[in-house]
Amino acid sequence: MAAVANPTVFLLMVSGQIESAQFPEFDDLYCKYCFVYGHDWAPTSGLEEGISQITSKNRGYQPNLVWNFPIDITFKSTNPFGWPQIVLSVYGPDVFGNDVVRGYGAVHVPFTPGSHKRTIPMFVPESTSMLQKFTSWLMGRRPEFIDPKVVARGEGREVTRVRSQGFVTLSFNVVTKDMKKLGYEVSSAAMPNPAAASMGDGLHRY
Amino acid sequence: MAEVHVIGQIVGASGFPSNSLFCKWGIHTGGAWKLLSGLREGQTQVDHPQFDNVAYWSHPIDVHFATKGLQGWPKLHVQVWHQDSFGRSELYGYGFCHVPSSPGFHPLDCVTWRPLGSWQEQFSQLFVGGGPQLLNSDLIYTGADRYRLQTRAMGTVHLQLAVLLRNFDRYGVES
Repeated sequence: MAAVANPTVFLLMVSGQIESAQFPEFDDLYCKYCFVYGHDWAPTSGLEEGISQITSKNRGYQPNLVWNFPIDITFKSTNPFGWPQIVLSVYGPDVFGNDVVRGYGAVHVPFTPGSHKRTIPMFVPESTSMLQKFTSWLMGRRPEFIDPKVVARGEGREVTRVRSQGFVTLSFNVVTKDMKKLGYEVSSAAMPNPAAASMGDGLHRY
Repeated sequence: MAEVHVIGQIVGASGFPSNSLFCKWGIHTGGAWKLLSGLREGQTQVDHPQFDNVAYWSHPIDVHFATKGLQGWPKLHVQVWHQDSFGRSELYGYGFCHVPSSPGFHPLDCVTWRPLGSWQEQFSQLFVGGGPQLLNSDLIYTGADRYRLQTRAMGTVHLQLAVLLRNFDRYGVES
């Protein structure tokens, strides 16, 4: 590796896994992931999207759905604006066997080097009228987002009504390169990296 | 100029009298601050949680500021609204919190309050809902004109913000 004296880009290496999920009402779920990032960002290696296996709970032993699905990707960028977010969508069969969405969720890739755990809430869009609710129940077609990436964007959210109904736990290992050389401070010396375990667990147990 | 990135999420809210909540948010800065990219304000989705009494919004925030001075460090202000089954919206709380000044990842809890009306207004609010709102929303994040106001405590808004600073040490600023 050649050391560059004046770098113009920084690198963000992310490895980790989609560990598990809690969906008390559903079973036999699979998970899709993709990354959403700004214009200045580009992936240099690794897979930008993937689909997990279909997993089920082990009743009496393991109330969580376990995917243990690997993530491994490296980004380069000149500007932290548009920091990558991982977007998850979870699907599973309804009573008629149709695949319907059970949750969307998104979270930013952690900012500081180290290992991190994140538990993210998962939600589905809801029909806005009683008639739509009835027809969607009858046809077995729940409302879905045409593009799951909308959950990573801030615009146009005010028109959506959702219901949150589960959580997904992810673990990340983050390595950055040349951020300091470009003048960025990502963490403070006074405040050590928040402990990975204490942050992730119980996040949704306010 | 020194640069500040604020990246994160408005995660959700808890402790409100009922759920089915949404949030209007904005970031207020002093005059020396310039927004380079990103959205300065927005509105979240409406969440009807299935189990918990926590409404989740997962609303992304990603803003990039350039600044010539430290005065007017960014403040994030929120308004929590409740949407009932008829689609009517009613104010549930105002709140603000400073964007942390040290770089790194910060989980934040923003407490909220709402204005109280006269006893007649409070009585009618019991039956028809609604309630007084601020005419001038600057009051959410300023302390100058609050002394005439009577308020009541409401729930908490949960945020996760990461702050990235650039070139602060070049100007000798320690954070």
